[in-house]
Order: sequence, then structure tokens, then C-alpha cells
Amino acid sequence: MRQGKRKFRRRAKVCRFTVEKINYIDYKDVDLLREYTPTNGKILPRRVTGTRPAFQHKLTRAIKRARHMALLPYVGE
Amino acid sequence: MPMYELGVILDPEASPEDEAGALERLEKVITDAGGQVVNKDAWGRRQLAYPIKKRSFGIYHFWRFDVTGQILRELNFELRTNDLFLRHLTLNLDRELRRHRKGERVQQELAAKKAAKIEAAAMAADEEQ
Repeated sequence: MRQGKRKFRRRAKVCRFTVEKINYIDYKDVDLLREYTPTNGKILPRRVTGTRPAFQHKLTRAIKRARHMALLPYVGE
Repeated sequence: MPMYELGVILDPEASPEDEAGALERLEKVITDAGGQVVNKDAWGRRQLAYPIKKRSFGIYHFWRFDVTGQILRELNFELRTNDLFLRHLTLNLDRELRRHRKGERVQQELAAKKAAKIEAAAMAADEEQ
């Protein structure tokens, strides 16, 4: 390896819903949903979190429902 | 009759009697139609993520109930016309959970396939010996 150049290995991203076998994502489960919305209130893309497409769809639905019920903000700080 | 899940946010400045009265009227709409409230979950006072009608708090209630679909129109009318309800959301849980059950079935099938594969591999290994 050349000096001054270090190799990093990125940790493999795993889909939490596949691993933990969560099939129904409830909009009332605010703590779970918070992990997928940073403080700015946006929904993290699956390219960042590694969530499987089927679960990403369910997740977005749940987050949008939670926003409607004022459990999550539409816009953060 | 499908199972529904209802979430409501009530005005925090309402008196406890008004709150109870509003919820009773809701329940009456359900029971009059031959339905029944199966599960009541009261979260109580909770800070809203953003202000609604200039209120920064809300009283949360979540119910699960069985009714025929036509009653939802009456229920929604009640929810929309009563000013005490800041927000409401009704979900058809059967429809929601149908997807859930499908997902479960898919997972079970996958697991069964995996087990069969492992078994086949073990059989093959046995034969080789």
C-alpha cells in the first residue's frame, strides 16, 4: 500500500426490517420511524439505510401517516 | 365486518367532560351501527410535532373497532364537524394486515425453500460418503 493512502472498508448496510422480520410498519411506532428521519425531517433514502424496496415503500407510508397525525414533523430544524 | 383503526387528536383546551362527551358520541355512532370498539388506547396529552389550529399539544386516542364500511361516512362527518377533533386518521386494518400476512407467507416460503435446500445438500453429502 502506498504511503498516505489508507483503505477503508465500509460496513455492509442491512435492511433492518428483513433482519428483524418486521412486516407491518405501524405509524404509531414513532421511535422506529425517527431512525429513518434525520432532524431535518426528511425521509432517508434506501441508498443510505440499505432498506429493501418493499420495506422502503411501507416505511414512507408510515412516516407520511405519522406526519399527518403530528407525530413527526413535516419540516425539521 | 372489517377491522378499522382510528386515531384522533383532541383539543387540549377542551374540558374533560367535553372530551369524554365527544368520544362517547363517536362510540355511539359505532355501536348504533352494530359495531363494537375492540381496543382503546389513550396516549393522553402529547406535544405535537407542529402546531395545529395554534395548539401545540394534543390529546391522542387510538381505537380499533369493527363496523361495516358505510358507517365510516357518518363517523367522518362527526369527526369533521366537531371542532374538538384536531386531526383524525382511519385505516382499514384488514387491508393493511393483508399485505403483512402476504409478507409473512413469502418469508415462510423462503425459509421452507432454504430448509429444503440445506436438507438436499445434507442428503447429497450423505450419499457421497
